[in-house]
Amino acid sequence: MESRICFSLNGKDVSITTDPLRRLIDVLREDFDCKGVKEGCSEGECGACSILLNGKMVTSCIIPVGAADGQQIMTIEGISATEKGKVIIDAFADGGAVQCGFCIPGMVIATYYLLSNNPDPTEDEIRLGLSGNICRCTGYDLIVESVRLAAKRGGELWKK
Amino acid sequence: MEEVKCYLPKTLKEALEIKAKVDVLPLAGGSDLMVSHKRTLGLTPVFEKPVMIIRNLPELKRIYLNEKGECCIGAGCTSAEIAENTLCPWHLRQAASRMGAIGLRNSATIAGNLANASPKGDTPGPLYLLDARVRLSSVRGDREVLVSDFIVKYRTIDLLPDELITQIIVPLSEDDFDYIFWHKVGTRKANAISKITLSQAIRFAPDGKTVEDFRLSATSTGSKTNRSRDVEKLLIGREITDETIESVVEGFDRIISPRAMPEFRREATRRMIRRFLSEAAKKPSSKVIDTYDGYHMTGAPVPRGEENG
Repeated sequence: MESRICFSLNGKDVSITTDPLRRLIDVLREDFDCKGVKEGCSEGECGACSILLNGKMVTSCIIPVGAADGQQIMTIEGISATEKGKVIIDAFADGGAVQCGFCIPGMVIATYYLLSNNPDPTEDEIRLGLSGNICRCTGYDLIVESVRLAAKRGGELWKK
Repeated sequence: MEEVKCYLPKTLKEALEIKAKVDVLPLAGGSDLMVSHKRTLGLTPVFEKPVMIIRNLPELKRIYLNEKGECCIGAGCTSAEIAENTLCPWHLRQAASRMGAIGLRNSATIAGNLANASPKGDTPGPLYLLDARVRLSSVRGDREVLVSDFIVKYRTIDLLPDELITQIIVPLSEDDFDYIFWHKVGTRKANAISKITLSQAIRFAPDGKTVEDFRLSATSTGSKTNRSRDVEKLLIGREITDETIESVVEGFDRIISPRAMPEFRREATRRMIRRFLSEAAKKPSSKVIDTYDGYHMTGAPVPRGEENG
């Protein structure tokens, strides 16, 4: 069964006629070419497919696209074009946060979500903010450092 | 494979009308249903019956205190929304704040957690403890059932085909007790499924010694959440002594039936009961006894309504 689903994707109104039970991750990747949304665990645990749904971080692998009807979605493609997103991405690059890179889109989303709600987090708060994002390469320390760097460099930007 | 129908109601009224006509599976957060019905990468999950997506129904998103001061939580409220809202009772906020990962807590709903009726579910423990009720609505009207009756047994709930869970009503809160306890034993700090979680609360009579109310519930210790009023009565009306503590410990040990690692779960349960009661007897200044300190919430309960009005 197909339905017409309309939502805002990275600030642009889009629509698609499809099975509302298709997973949001699949629609974003296949129909809207948001290949930065990665699939890791497929059960909402690893955070690789994280997106912002109405400003809140969610895992897109457990959400049927029908639930996105009328809602606002930001993916890494949209985030990375924003000023805040650029600060995070530069900090991740400079801080050596990235090894294989698979978890990084989700990590950037988690960092964006964290710093937007808590502009000056402690190390514990950073680790908590990233606790839903699993990385199998780096052991997290450089990622945590990079989040700290993004918080510092962004400064007032995070309070907007 | 034949595709099942999927309904996308915009209002609760519309959802109840659909439910009255068709036996649909309500899907809100998706954190249980999308996972249990998933196939593989890129493939749409397959459901055995029509699905009704109710994630965004505005009527199910409210949290407020009713005229009796009971906390009424919309069925569609997520774990994150409950964890953040100071109108919600402390035990429930603790459980909600430690449920799965952050992204999942922004999807998973309280009604979904109850409907899933898993003995490892995070919210039933506090809801059993605080005598919470579920409101079940249909086009015929509403009815309320105790959460502890609503979850009949393992993966089985008391829900008629035309009914939808619309609200969770929690009559009690930490304000009704002198000392409170919530502890989840998981294999990790975050993203953990409960190995065992204990919720406890106690109130003393005006003499300061006699126990006026005592409650204890445990998850992951049997086929459903455990609570026993008979065991609680072993302490109510008495004072906390080594003997009364052991009577509760032994009584509770008899009603739980942990399947995997039973000795570990029994011993952890025994220790947490002893810890709570022996500390409460000392009358410490902190209301919270031995909670998971400093990880997600500071532990100290904020007066109800102070943050979110």
